[in-house]
Amino acid sequence: MEQLRLEHISKSFPGVKALDDINIEVKQGEVHALCGENGAGKSTLMNILSGNLRPDEGTIIINGEPVSFDNPKEAFEKGIATVHQHLSLIDNLSVAENIFANQHPVNRLGLIHYKKMYQQTADVLTELKINIAPTMLVSALSPAQKQMVEIAKALARKPQLLILDEPTASLTDKEIKVLFNIIYHLKQQGVSILYISHRLSEIFELADRVSILKDGKYEGTFQKAALTTQQLIKRMVGRDLIDLKPSSAKQSTILLEVKNLSGEKFKNINFKLHRGEIVLLSSHPAKAIEKGIAYLSEDRTHLGLFLQMSVQDNIVSANLKSARKGNFYSHAKAKELAEESKTKLRIATPSVGTKAQNLSGGNQQKVVLAKWLQTHPEILIVDEPTHGIDVGAKFEIYGLLKELATSGKGILMISSDLPELLGICDRILVLNKGTVSGELLHADATEEKIMALASH
Amino acid sequence: MIQRIVQDRIYLLIALLMVVSIITGIIFPTTFPTFTNFSQIFLNVSIDAIVAVGMMLLLISGVFDLSVGSVVAFVACLVAYFMQEANIPVPLAILLAIASALLIGLVNGYLIAYKEINPMIQTLAMMGIVRGAALMISVAGAQNLPYHFNIIGQSKLLGVQMPVWYMLLTVLVFSFLMTRTIFFRRYYYIGGNEKAAELSGIHVKKMKMIAFVISAGLAGVAGILISSRLGAALPTLGRGLELRVITAVILGGASLSGGFGKIPGALLGALFMGIIANIMVIARVSGYWQEIILGIILIFTLWLDKALLKKYSKL
Repeated sequence: MEQLRLEHISKSFPGVKALDDINIEVKQGEVHALCGENGAGKSTLMNILSGNLRPDEGTIIINGEPVSFDNPKEAFEKGIATVHQHLSLIDNLSVAENIFANQHPVNRLGLIHYKKMYQQTADVLTELKINIAPTMLVSALSPAQKQMVEIAKALARKPQLLILDEPTASLTDKEIKVLFNIIYHLKQQGVSILYISHRLSEIFELADRVSILKDGKYEGTFQKAALTTQQLIKRMVGRDLIDLKPSSAKQSTILLEVKNLSGEKFKNINFKLHRGEIVLLSSHPAKAIEKGIAYLSEDRTHLGLFLQMSVQDNIVSANLKSARKGNFYSHAKAKELAEESKTKLRIATPSVGTKAQNLSGGNQQKVVLAKWLQTHPEILIVDEPTHGIDVGAKFEIYGLLKELATSGKGILMISSDLPELLGICDRILVLNKGTVSGELLHADATEEKIMALASH
Repeated sequence: MIQRIVQDRIYLLIALLMVVSIITGIIFPTTFPTFTNFSQIFLNVSIDAIVAVGMMLLLISGVFDLSVGSVVAFVACLVAYFMQEANIPVPLAILLAIASALLIGLVNGYLIAYKEINPMIQTLAMMGIVRGAALMISVAGAQNLPYHFNIIGQSKLLGVQMPVWYMLLTVLVFSFLMTRTIFFRRYYYIGGNEKAAELSGIHVKKMKMIAFVISAGLAGVAGILISSRLGAALPTLGRGLELRVITAVILGGASLSGGFGKIPGALLGALFMGIIANIMVIARVSGYWQEIILGIILIFTLWLDKALLKKYSKL
């Protein structure tokens, strides 16, 4: 039986046709995966289903009945709950108040029944195997716990259709297992699930059927059994991807050495990064830049970019001095530098005057990379550089990092994406409970060995 | 436990109020700790505190209103005009005057929530417009307001002036609403993260507009109370009230970024400022110094707030 049917859905934004005649149907009790690169229209489609956006054309049919949502509330009322990728939680409220946002349990007088709310929250949290108190403030939670609370919030609405947008991006393997068990459980109860993820392995593990979007167009729906990873990628990206090998440009000179570094959350960290020599990390960012160290933060939109400023302004932001002519800042010089980076890093933007917020995730990451390269660093520290970036852009970022390593720069990459680490790194340092628990060379590293070191 | 007490501004303010009162009581044993003096403090604070409750609601949702002081004057002058010039009966005059305050709030709220005008600019403009309107209605002010109007603010219950009771009632009612009803609870979500609130099914724009209407309505009530207490309506009433009230509310635990604060904090913040003002009068500090000292207190509290949060968030 079909639960949801989308007929001829189209949506345009100024300058872009985000969705073009999309037709998808989701059966009851089915896990239906939605695949596509960033910018393919997955988020737009999800926003339409969750009542956050209205389609320009087309109809949404739920249980055979055409519906239209003016706002998220009307979508809840039709049994659609969404786990958003960018968290919809409020930091300064408790876990319980977040889970029951705007639908608190009430007593006979219509007043909020706090005792009941905390009890029901405890029940949901136990079911999800999350060990946190319902009264705890969300601001005190880890990103993974926040993600689990976000899932709890959607489940508390007892949905008929659950939309999950990149739910595993910040979860550990253990939590992913819990989530998958819940998904299987919901499926048995007849809940339909629309699952959006960049992690293809998850899609092959969970999904019954897969629908593919490319550049806002519907590429078809396939039974999982009838699809291989290679075919899926090809349909999403429109071309084959080359395999990556590590840079192997390693030289014997030491670039960075860390000895017995201890701090609030770690202790006794020792490692070396080859070629040259610089120590001292924990100082003011300005000092670190002077010493030739650049740090690309994991939180690209908050700590890496000035979203409302142009690509050009972003690129020169870490080294404004480089855009001087004489003693004064020169817009022409800045533009020249930005154009140079744009070509070199293949940043896809209409112009260097475009605002950073209008670029896709992958291109934003390239802008951040360009910005730090302007400081002419010897060492690049990159924290989760491909977080939330689609497959095609991921490989481009790897390619760029590889080129940089080949040109003699040392790269320290922080990542929890194992295939990514195995694909690109020369050496892998594994941290566990704040100390270095092991070091692996590319040739000996396997996912099992890393996991063993990370969790023993 | 210590962490909780320090982080909750309510406890901190109560402790601070007690310490300050005890010290002042020792220094000025004959003038400060008397029933007359304290009922005077509460009476002086009552108008500020009623307006502060509305301002607390706004700051919790992440906005504020600079026009409240002008609304107080406007409503006072308008009710006097209705009663004296238009011969409208007292109850109807009061209702009409408060309705006009609600209308001002509706205009502010609509333009800020739906037309996305910056709250500071919008309410700053409205502050000027409404003050001008108050001057236009009353020119030099109205005196000898009707007896039935004056008793609203001048009578007593159990030896305590009525405005103090209205203040306590306002604080209790709104405190209850903010903690126990889903409708008012939504303001914490809106102030905490507007986008997330929207995704949780809250009509952010409508709720924001309503907050401005409620706040202006409370300013209107304050306008009625102050003019009935004085038996007169002056277009200069409530000058500087907006900044005093915002200071009190921030002292009381609100944050300019929204999402924080409790209604009793508005009362305690206003009370704290009232007691400091009273102490300065008793100690014969000049009026100029009073303003300087209140400014310094605000900066000091904000600094203390940051310092305490930093220290205890590490525990």
